[in-house]
Amino acid sequence: MAIDCLVLGAGQEVGKSCVIASINDKRIMFDCGMHMGHVDHRRYPDFSRIPRPQGTGFDRAIDCIIITHFHLDHVGALPYFTEVCGYGGPIYMTYPTKALAPLMLEDYRKVMVERRGEEEQFTADHIVECMKKVIPVDLKQTVQVDKDLQIRAYYAGHVLGAAMFYAKVGDTAIVYTGDYNMTPDRHLGAAQIDRLHLDLLITESTYATTIRDSKYGREREFLKAVHKCIGGGGKVLIPTFALGRAQELCILLEDYWERMNLKVPIYFSAGLTIQANMYYKMLISWTSQKIKETYSTRNAFDFKYVTNFDRSMIDAPGPCVLFATPGMIIGGFSLEVFKHWAPAEKNLITLPGYCGVGTIGHKLMSGKPTKIDLDKDTQIDVRCQIHQLSFSPHTDAKGIMDLVKFLSPKNIILVHGEKPKIAILKGRIKSELGIPCYDPANNETVSIPSTHYVKAVASDTFIRSCSHPNFKFSKSSMEDGHGSSFKLGNSAPQLQVSDERVAEGILVIEKSKKAKVLHQEELLQMLGEKENKVQFAYCCPVRIGNLEETKSTDITSTNDKLSMTDGSLWLQILFARLSDEFSGGNIQDFGEHLQVESFRMSTCLKETCPYRIDETLQGNRSELVFFCCTWSVADEKIAQRIISILKNFGSSAVKRNSLVPIG
Amino acid sequence: MEEHVRSTGHHSPNLSTKSCGYETLSSNALVRMRALIINPSTPDSTISSAFDTLAHSLQLNCSNKLVVRHILKLLHDLASHHTRFSRLVFDSVRSHSLLSTESVRVAVEALDVVASVAERDGALVPALDELDDGFFAALCFSPSVSVRPWLLRNAERLHVRPYLLFTLFLGFTKDPHPYVRKAALDGLAGLSRSSVIDDQCMIRDAIPVSPSFYATWKIVASIFVVISSFVLLCSMTRDMSMEVRVEVFNSLGKIEMVSEDILLQTMSKKVLGISKGKLQFEELASSAAGTFVHGLEDEFHEVRKSACHSLRTLTTLSAKFSVEVLNLLIDVLNDDSMVVRLQALETLLHMATSDCLKVQETHMHTLLGSLVDKNSSIRSATRKILKLVKLPVFKLFKFTVDALLENLETSPQDEADVFSILFHIGRNHGKFVDCIIQDVYQQVEPTSEGKLVFDSSRVVALLVLAISAPLSHEYNCNIPPTMFSYAVTFLGRISYALRDAMSQNSLLDYLTLCSRSTGFSAIQFREDQPCLYSSKGNLPHNSTDETIGSFAMTLQEKRDGNADIQSSIREGSSKVATSLVKYQLEVHDEVVKPMNAILAKVKDIWRLVQSGYIYEVLKNLRSFREELETFTPELLAPAGVLSFTLQYLKTIKMLVKVWGHFLPPKYLSSCRMGTLDLLLEKLDRRLRDLRTRFIGLSKEEELHVLELILITCTLKLSKVEICCKLGTVRKLCSTMSQVESLLKEGSIEPSKFVIEVGNLSSEICSSLDGDSSDPFLYRRLLDFFSLQQFVFCGGIRHIKAELHVPGNDFENPIRFVSRLPVGIPCQITLHNILNESRLWLRMRMDELSTQFLFLDLNLFKGFDAIRRFPFLAPFYRTPKAISFSLRLCIGMECLFEDVQFVKRRWGPKHELTYLCQEKEVYFSTVSKG
Repeated sequence: MAIDCLVLGAGQEVGKSCVIASINDKRIMFDCGMHMGHVDHRRYPDFSRIPRPQGTGFDRAIDCIIITHFHLDHVGALPYFTEVCGYGGPIYMTYPTKALAPLMLEDYRKVMVERRGEEEQFTADHIVECMKKVIPVDLKQTVQVDKDLQIRAYYAGHVLGAAMFYAKVGDTAIVYTGDYNMTPDRHLGAAQIDRLHLDLLITESTYATTIRDSKYGREREFLKAVHKCIGGGGKVLIPTFALGRAQELCILLEDYWERMNLKVPIYFSAGLTIQANMYYKMLISWTSQKIKETYSTRNAFDFKYVTNFDRSMIDAPGPCVLFATPGMIIGGFSLEVFKHWAPAEKNLITLPGYCGVGTIGHKLMSGKPTKIDLDKDTQIDVRCQIHQLSFSPHTDAKGIMDLVKFLSPKNIILVHGEKPKIAILKGRIKSELGIPCYDPANNETVSIPSTHYVKAVASDTFIRSCSHPNFKFSKSSMEDGHGSSFKLGNSAPQLQVSDERVAEGILVIEKSKKAKVLHQEELLQMLGEKENKVQFAYCCPVRIGNLEETKSTDITSTNDKLSMTDGSLWLQILFARLSDEFSGGNIQDFGEHLQVESFRMSTCLKETCPYRIDETLQGNRSELVFFCCTWSVADEKIAQRIISILKNFGSSAVKRNSLVPIG
Repeated sequence: MEEHVRSTGHHSPNLSTKSCGYETLSSNALVRMRALIINPSTPDSTISSAFDTLAHSLQLNCSNKLVVRHILKLLHDLASHHTRFSRLVFDSVRSHSLLSTESVRVAVEALDVVASVAERDGALVPALDELDDGFFAALCFSPSVSVRPWLLRNAERLHVRPYLLFTLFLGFTKDPHPYVRKAALDGLAGLSRSSVIDDQCMIRDAIPVSPSFYATWKIVASIFVVISSFVLLCSMTRDMSMEVRVEVFNSLGKIEMVSEDILLQTMSKKVLGISKGKLQFEELASSAAGTFVHGLEDEFHEVRKSACHSLRTLTTLSAKFSVEVLNLLIDVLNDDSMVVRLQALETLLHMATSDCLKVQETHMHTLLGSLVDKNSSIRSATRKILKLVKLPVFKLFKFTVDALLENLETSPQDEADVFSILFHIGRNHGKFVDCIIQDVYQQVEPTSEGKLVFDSSRVVALLVLAISAPLSHEYNCNIPPTMFSYAVTFLGRISYALRDAMSQNSLLDYLTLCSRSTGFSAIQFREDQPCLYSSKGNLPHNSTDETIGSFAMTLQEKRDGNADIQSSIREGSSKVATSLVKYQLEVHDEVVKPMNAILAKVKDIWRLVQSGYIYEVLKNLRSFREELETFTPELLAPAGVLSFTLQYLKTIKMLVKVWGHFLPPKYLSSCRMGTLDLLLEKLDRRLRDLRTRFIGLSKEEELHVLELILITCTLKLSKVEICCKLGTVRKLCSTMSQVESLLKEGSIEPSKFVIEVGNLSSEICSSLDGDSSDPFLYRRLLDFFSLQQFVFCGGIRHIKAELHVPGNDFENPIRFVSRLPVGIPCQITLHNILNESRLWLRMRMDELSTQFLFLDLNLFKGFDAIRRFPFLAPFYRTPKAISFSLRLCIGMECLFEDVQFVKRRWGPKHELTYLCQEKEVYFSTVSKG
């Protein structure tokens, strides 16, 4: 079992988000977006790469599609995929997304077909048909897609209705963030998610390296720029996407207008935006805390100063502020107004924080061009001021790190960001948090092992043993203390406490039975076996010559040759010697044998002891006394030391020391 | 056995003789023994034999847990009732049952007995120390989970060595049982607080950073505060739980030692490359990075507020940090939540008082912007800051004055406060005042026709600024003396505004003096009254009155002595000025004086009330009212005073009627009018009107109204049969707290009644339990009450509304289609409505169907004393009837009355005060023909 992530879009780039995650044989498509910068086949994700059985459609290949929010780079290819490619399975998105996505799609289709005269990829009917397949979900509502697959949406900020999605198959869980924002703005809240156990986190990383400062400063700069421009009689063009920034900026401007008592008109370009405001009014529960709270007295989206804009007013004299779609000046009305307003110096164009490569917005941002080529024939003089808004609905690098720290998943995949920046963030995550991190390019697959839990029964003894405290202190070294270590100045090793009582059990899995956790002591009983101990034995020869000396000096006794009764005497002599030389433990004399921990030593009187290794023994056998030693594994070291002491008694010490296990 | 029990029952001394029958004590025997033990008159010999029996059976019965526990309990009682035996009990329990660790529970109970005996008898403490710590540890490690929290909590009582304790606590922070963890964390917090542990880094590293539940979490935060681990707290500020974030910021504010580097790091999300460059520092920095930036832009205003608040103490730690904080806080003044803006201003004020507020030009724009905020508390908080700010250059001073003037224009109700601030900043920046006055002198001068444009409050404001200059220490006078003469003409208004600083008389003296001549040198003042010049900032101004008064006197003497000639030249003008003042006062007094006279009379009639002459009193009150009705003032301010007095008289009338029910029975003859419940309800309503429908009350007046509310509550509570006691107690408490806050500010002496209520309420309010309060307690309070006299200062304005539906009457109904909304064209006139007040239009068809409509004042721009505008009120629930009528009324939410929270899905959240008469509107269906 594993998680395979096939990145069909937004791999090392921004645009056409689409990730196919196969979790334990369930396949989910996260987002189905299109690329705004391309007009050829690169516009859509390469759906043909989705593995599917020969001759079958996508229905079999994909269990469900999850759309995080209504931006075209997340939903743009959906009608194409369902209606043209023929996917008929379930599609999940939040209620606001379901309401707003068709607007976006239809608007885009119109722009493409009617203005640019392109061949249409899908029709208006396609959009309607596609939306019929959508199942709306609510925040934190757990949806059982089928027997094994569970999904849940979490608030993501970013735009109205944006959600992060949690998907769980068996014990494997992943989160796909879509686009999100960790700081609230004037109309949306910050992303919010539970602490989950995740195998994989797929996160956007639009601002993989940027760290933004306080939003208050940005607001002040924006207001100042706008105020300065209208103060000088200029016109302000704010090209935005209809939904999202337009509402936020408008709330901000309204607030300011009221405070400063300004009378300059604010316009919304026709159609979509007004309709969008209506949706905002209806979907109030998806906005920020503040707007929800004040809703009872006044709907914040009932803009007081805003009126509709008419095309004839483009060249009307006097200052004004105009919100026009689409953003990034990719065409449509905002481009038209731009053509008129850009040549005048007193006018102001505000650009959003991010403009896709190839758009006019992008050209304006990179340096300050004086001329912009629209197409072969038209060229625009750009003399107006340009203010780049750093308002962005995306989280910054710190926000990404904060979310990753909070969720601490086992693996991370970064998508939706520019290649070099993603690589830097990847490095940071790996080094600072020690979490494996991947940044696949489009059409690459990443495989990640998944989790599989086994339910086990616990025995009574085990449970009882669990209630005994069992904590340990350990001083961890520097290497493994990433992230959570806080040391002020002094470099004292970190003290760590652990109390992992469960670790003390033994997991037993019998054939065709449930797994069981046992206490150590129960194991033998359960298996019906006796306890076996591994013991080592060695019959050690000691040269008597040396012992004789000792004997003559230490103990005044008979000079007889070795006899039965002498056995204990030798032992006593050895005891005396060992007590002098051996310091590793307490030597006890039991008469018949000496003992240190589990090491036992007694005189061996047998002619042929099975533990005696006598091939190397030479010289007078009568000068040798044999001592039979036994010990258990735990005391191996003690045994080695005592034996080496014994051998040093004689010069013809045994070189090799082979051990024979018994029992 | 039986024999034994009998013998204990008969106080037999032969209890001590041991026989083999003692194997077990029956529960009966134990109960009797207990009776003997707790009886103080039991002879010692019996006690002693009882002890022997118990001690003996303790040894025998080690196996029977139940009995042993009983015996332990008895021994405990014995030791506590007969202290002579405590040593014996201590020894016996220690030697016997502690050793039997078969039952952990028994051992723990034995420990408890030992510990409590030792607590009572100090001599035994050393013996307690001898207890084996190992034994304690062994108990902790026993499998019984239930005793573990007890042991951890009582470890200190048992005199366990701190080092062992520390290890145990640390270890048990990882226990799988949350309550054990909590006890361990509590223990750690205690240990670190008593600074037993030198190596606090150990705790810091070992404590789990993400505990599982909120209560545990709070302890962790407090431990971090104790060990000053600022960074660890910072790392918790990105938690997903709002409560946790609030708590973390609260805790952050308590830490008093943080390095400057870390502090600066909290203001920047980027990791600052501060010198050190060590790996360790980077880790620290990354967890502290941007803590406050995040906190201040949090989605929840609770968190933002808490973050603002926590900055208060931290700003005093580092000058560099306070600069950063100022930059950020100034931006926070753009926040959309009023609470947060207010807290930011309060933090700024705190910074200003602790002298770490260095305002620069870039800040001024936003800061002064708050002066035109819709909310009055924001404006007032901003002004408090401005009072203390030291403005380095003239440009900033000019900005500030202009902003204050703008404030005055947009919200005239702030007049008094604005004047006071102008006076203060003028005193602090004398030189700049000079420059400004030179510029604007023409504005103040009479126009070519010789008319003074004195009606503009802007002029008065400039005059206030001008007259403040001579009191500045950097003053070298160039203020034209005519300014002071002009100022005299506004004596009432100015002296009201400066009442904190000086009294009307001393102000008049001061103005008259200054108007006589130019060229007072500041040195002259300084020689006499050095203390005046040192008074700046937040110092209490109570003393200033006298100071200025006496200073004016000395000035007078000086002038008389030194500059006779000059003064004689100026004498003419001064005479003019004085007479002007007198005239102005007279106009004002014409209305206010009789009112004050009436008030004095009202005060006097209270004695009559107490003697039971209710009828006579009511008659008197009626005559006062008639007297009042003869006044028909056109002037705005006295009109307010008049309506206030009328309302006041009505209230007193109600109070007198109510009081009649509380008089001792001997006055019964003088009738009781109306049912008490109804009367009380009416009184409540009158008081609410008095409280909410007037603005510009002085503290004294407000206090008086509050006192009336207090007495009403007391009256209610002293009747046993009055219902909703709890609500009344709550109201009493909240009113009392308002009274206390008023008293705190001013120099007004509370009446005896207020003091008594204060004493009582401090007890009651803590419990807030209606049942426990005793009616007689309250009845006793009534004796202390008597009506206080107060004097009008003027400036009271009456909030009222008028509502018309033009062209509608019974004959000309509005047409409607059943079940469809209908619009009612209203003409609304509002008097003296503040911008922040919340108005509702109530539309009542019958008792059951009422619709509320919020009147958004912002839709009707501008502040005027009188606003008149048309309003189309939609009524949605038109009935299925041919015709119906609606009763319309405009109400204002009483923000004071947060006690009586009205639970409604739509509509006002507080009680409403109605500002006009109900207006009946008639409807009929559109006829089909």
